[in-house]
Amino acid sequence: MKNTVAIKVENLSKSFGKDDSYIEVLNNASFSINKGELVALVAPSGAGKTVLLMMLGCVVEPSSGNIWIGDEKVYHNKWLSKETRKIRQEKIGFIFQAHYLIPFLNIIDNLTLLPQSNGISDKVSKAKARELLNYLDIANKEKAMPYQLSGGQNQRVAIARALANNPKIILADEPTAALDIERSIAVIQMLKKIAREQDVAIVMVTHDERMLPYCDRVMKLENRGVFFE
Amino acid sequence: MIHLAKEDVKHSYGKFIVTIFGVGLLLGIVLMMMGVYRGMIVDAEMLLKDIDVDLWVVQEDTLGPFAEASTIHEDLKYSIKSIQGIDKSEAITFQNLQIMLPQSQRKEKVLAVGFDVYGEINPVNPKHLVSGRPLRVNHYEMVVTDKLGFKLNDKVELGRAVYTVVGITHGTVSSNGSSIIYISLKDAQELQFSYSNKRIQSDAQRGIESSKSHMANTVIVTVKAGYNTEQIAKEIRKWKHKSVYTREQQNEVLTKNVTEKATKQIGFLAGILTFVAIIIITFIIYTMTMDKIKEISIMKLIGIPNSMIVKMVMEETLILSVLSWVVGNVFIRLIYKHFPKQVALEVNDSLMLLGIIVLSSIITSYFSMKKVISADPALAIGG
Repeated sequence: MKNTVAIKVENLSKSFGKDDSYIEVLNNASFSINKGELVALVAPSGAGKTVLLMMLGCVVEPSSGNIWIGDEKVYHNKWLSKETRKIRQEKIGFIFQAHYLIPFLNIIDNLTLLPQSNGISDKVSKAKARELLNYLDIANKEKAMPYQLSGGQNQRVAIARALANNPKIILADEPTAALDIERSIAVIQMLKKIAREQDVAIVMVTHDERMLPYCDRVMKLENRGVFFE
Repeated sequence: MIHLAKEDVKHSYGKFIVTIFGVGLLLGIVLMMMGVYRGMIVDAEMLLKDIDVDLWVVQEDTLGPFAEASTIHEDLKYSIKSIQGIDKSEAITFQNLQIMLPQSQRKEKVLAVGFDVYGEINPVNPKHLVSGRPLRVNHYEMVVTDKLGFKLNDKVELGRAVYTVVGITHGTVSSNGSSIIYISLKDAQELQFSYSNKRIQSDAQRGIESSKSHMANTVIVTVKAGYNTEQIAKEIRKWKHKSVYTREQQNEVLTKNVTEKATKQIGFLAGILTFVAIIIITFIIYTMTMDKIKEISIMKLIGIPNSMIVKMVMEETLILSVLSWVVGNVFIRLIYKHFPKQVALEVNDSLMLLGIIVLSSIITSYFSMKKVISADPALAIGG
């Protein structure tokens, strides 16, 4: 039977510091997110949304627990791979508040950098990049530099970059924070479409409650636990 | 495959070019200092090479004639010539003079070399004689270095006489870089050892014989093939009570006693400048890396391997080093001829500088690479 789970988390805990400076961000949280789902992650400021996102992205090491990405268990009280970078390179896409494209690379190179670093040929990676640019309706911008595009166009390129390595999951850290409401809704709808069509799970941190109706599920981080609304 | 260094350089083209020019000019100055250093050594050896003799006979217990004053009798050359194994033997004088330049009312220090025009050893190297002819008569002819600005047949007032320029040489300088003029031994003796009438009168009143016009500074000697130069030198020291230096010893006296401190100083300065250039390149590469630390964090976060980012830093270091070296070379080659003293640019020095700069840049770019490797990918998240 085909596994539909993109991310599975079991008893995940994370704390920082010791004694007086001890802070617990997450205590035995368990949840799973399916392929094709767009999940909003909401919480008050300082509750640990970004930390959770970074743990799912294999950037910050949890204190204990288990994490699966697709079929692969990547964390069991410690990272199971010596190179977590490799997991990010092959399985995870990232979208940030700002587009954070590499300013000295043109659009097509921004999209092909990651696949090429993973051994994908120039020809294949460019074909995939063009397909993504076409898919996101910015096909005519491949030779442009990031500074030559509008904020919205750059955000679409950033989304295309997140898809360039055929990820299992996309982690989006407030991708609409810098956009007006109309563009924000357009981006959310685009992410939802991508989740469905590309069969990828998207976890999106957002502060904007107006975006929540467009998501499949809303995951709340409260009292060091994770709850779905 | 995307070439990160190339794309980054293309993106910040202007900044990179300005940096290359800045570092390049600095490396040009390093090359110039090396050239001045080499030039001093070449200058020091030039006269010895042109005179090209096996032995230098000078006043006893002196380091003459370049490092110390030496006065010996001219006729010593005959008794030396009679020693078995001697091929040629000539008396020669060296004297620092001030000469009035033709184009300006300014005097310049020159070294006057006096030699027997009819003798067997002529210190004017035909390879250096670019126009005119060597000296042919015993009086009032002069061969000069082209740097002094004289033309053939120019009249030059020197001492009590007027000389005619009959030949012009190129690249003939003394150990301290002064231009050389060549005159006959007779004229040189008159200039060096003949005093003014007033002085002669004054000396006579004191009972001093002031004329020494039969004196020279050194006797230069060539040895016949098959004879041991050291052995002949030993013999002259023993029987003639003179100091004798072989070609190698005279060369050492010149480089050790006359130019050593100056060359050391210049060499030291060149070393410091090279060090400064390395520090500047290190600082520039480090700053360039720190300017991109956000992009580097993003690259690391999305999974780009460290090796690819480190390669970018390394290649930018190499591009900066090599292009700066090229600029430095072009710069110094455009200007070195305008320096008053010889700047001897040697390909080996230039290649050595390239090696030092490239190697040091690679080693010192370690600091930038360390920064790349330790850059936290989490920096990219959360604005």
